[in-house]
Amino acid sequence: MTGVLVIEDDDRIRLSLVLALEDEGYEARGVATAEEGLVEQRSRPADTVLVDLMLPGVDGFECIRQLRRHDGVPIVVVSARDDTHDIVAALEAGADDYLVKPVAIKELSARLRALRRRGRTLDPEVTMATLVFGALEIVPDGGEVRLHGEPVALTRTEFRLLCELAQHPGRILSRQQLLQRVWDHTVGDERLVDVHVGRLRQKIEHDTARPRYLLTVRGLGYKLQR
Amino acid sequence: MSRGAVVRRAAMRRAGLRTRVTAGFTAGALALSTAIALVSYQVTRSSLLAERERTAVRAAYLDATVVQAGLAADRPDILEILRSLDTGGNRRAMLHLDGEWYARNLDAGITDSIPAALQQLAQSGQPVVQRVRAGGQPALVVGVPLAPGTTFYEVDSLVELQNTLRVLAIVLTLVALSTAVAAASLGRHATGYVLRPLRRVTDAAQEITDGNLTARLDPTDEPDLARLTTSFNGMVDQLSARMQRDRRFAADVSHELRSPLQTLEAAASVLARRRDRLDQRTAVAVDLVNAEVARFQALVNDLIELARSDQPAERSPVDMVDLARQVCRTHQVSPEVVVAEEGAARVWEVDRRRVTQLLSNLVENALRHGGGPCAVRVGSEPDGHLLTVEDEGPGIRAEDREVIFDRFVRGRAAHVRGAGDGTGLGLALVAQHAAAHGGRVDVTDRPGGGARFQIHLPASPQ
Repeated sequence: MTGVLVIEDDDRIRLSLVLALEDEGYEARGVATAEEGLVEQRSRPADTVLVDLMLPGVDGFECIRQLRRHDGVPIVVVSARDDTHDIVAALEAGADDYLVKPVAIKELSARLRALRRRGRTLDPEVTMATLVFGALEIVPDGGEVRLHGEPVALTRTEFRLLCELAQHPGRILSRQQLLQRVWDHTVGDERLVDVHVGRLRQKIEHDTARPRYLLTVRGLGYKLQR
Repeated sequence: MSRGAVVRRAAMRRAGLRTRVTAGFTAGALALSTAIALVSYQVTRSSLLAERERTAVRAAYLDATVVQAGLAADRPDILEILRSLDTGGNRRAMLHLDGEWYARNLDAGITDSIPAALQQLAQSGQPVVQRVRAGGQPALVVGVPLAPGTTFYEVDSLVELQNTLRVLAIVLTLVALSTAVAAASLGRHATGYVLRPLRRVTDAAQEITDGNLTARLDPTDEPDLARLTTSFNGMVDQLSARMQRDRRFAADVSHELRSPLQTLEAAASVLARRRDRLDQRTAVAVDLVNAEVARFQALVNDLIELARSDQPAERSPVDMVDLARQVCRTHQVSPEVVVAEEGAARVWEVDRRRVTQLLSNLVENALRHGGGPCAVRVGSEPDGHLLTVEDEGPGIRAEDREVIFDRFVRGRAAHVRGAGDGTGLGLALVAQHAAAHGGRVDVTDRPGGGARFQIHLPASPQ
């Protein structure tokens, strides 16, 4: 059993989501406010958090930021809002994925499974020795990243994104390929990739405007430079 | 548009407002300055001539007095008398006495220039003045009868006056022409100045059409333009407020519908999981609830999408063959049906989300009414991209082709089968997404039976 914390102020949605997720094999708990959710997550950490954006008191964006301050738990936004602005703001606050209500339970479950995968990627053939990119060291099996010998704290999704790029040094991966491999999306929102790349750069790049490792290839995608 | 209107529009395009006003200015100025020049020339000319005539007559009378005094002496030496006259370089004096001409040597032959009619008139005792040509030059003849049979003539050259008039004519012509040129440039400048606010209005309107609802005209102090600016900006304010209200309404509605749908979806999935444990009647009811929740969900999503029709396409390079294969896989259709036509570009500059939905809806339509797509072609046509989806179903009847892209129209085939599970908005969205890219959709018969939907997109975004 794995724990999912549902932060949702609408009682009926919360109850139905908890019931449906329990059916899918998750140990689900629901709370109605961000404040309760933050307390709950500190006392009994769940390994995935679902959060609504429009919450009374502390809103979803702030809730994501505060959760992010403590750990790299996968956070999935489930919101009725589908503005580009909201999606990007939620991802920038630290969310790992964004789903627009109403989301089918099968799809939600698939997304949760993808996010809970450890740093190890889908391809078991690839040897997971330490990968070195200049001053950047990545240990896929250990879930560790070091820059100039100092450990870098990455969320699980950021780590998986970095590993995916690191396994193909110097090769361009398109946003769609990354969506498929990291998030398990068949047809997905490319902003998810862009925002995560931005967050990753802030942690591993000296100058995010002129990246040394994680390069954008215009019109094609991203690559990690040795 | 009628044929006449087309012709008129073509004519207007040939000569713009600015050109026409400038031409009018020029023509008017030219006519006016020409008229003024002609009148001034005439007035100056006649007054100069009159002045000259008066001077010549006065001088001739003075000389005539001298000649008369000389003739009064005994046996006068006529030539000596004529020589004693102070005539300057321009005047020539002659005396006609009893049928004989007397003139200084220098002036010999000049008598031919005096017309016979004039001589007769003078001989009858009448003083005469006439303009003539003497030796090819303009001249003035003054005849003063001294006594019966005796007439004194003076021929006064008008060459200098003629030269003066010629210079005057040249100057006036130049003035008239330069006035016309000045008027042309003034007209051009003035219309440019007057049309500038119009151009600004056009630019602002274009910007607003392109989706920038914050575009406004800069406020101006010019009283004539201030009204235009104020009313234009007021109109755009109202329009954009209304559009924002509509958009907010769509967002509110979507939120209000989506939240209960989420509950329905989750609760229905809980029911569906326990279907096996339900009695048959309840199980059928659960199936109905599940199917309708799914349809309701699709309907809400399509409605929200339609409400957003005014948003411009967010273009990025998209590999259409990959996308088409992906869409087929999502709908459990073999990706083998996707064909990349030879020589056609695979990567298009399009809005990925919209084109995905467009293709998805066409594939769904083919699945629902045509037994599934038999070919999805990524191709090209002379001035753009061409996306074709074909099925081997019953095809679309000619009278239905016009309306199938309207909202809430469902295929007759579906009606017959009794499986009205579409939202009735799928093809309307296809048309809308094509239009958002500056393109269009049409449907024809597939050779060999079935329907052929084609999306025509311009290659370069306007």
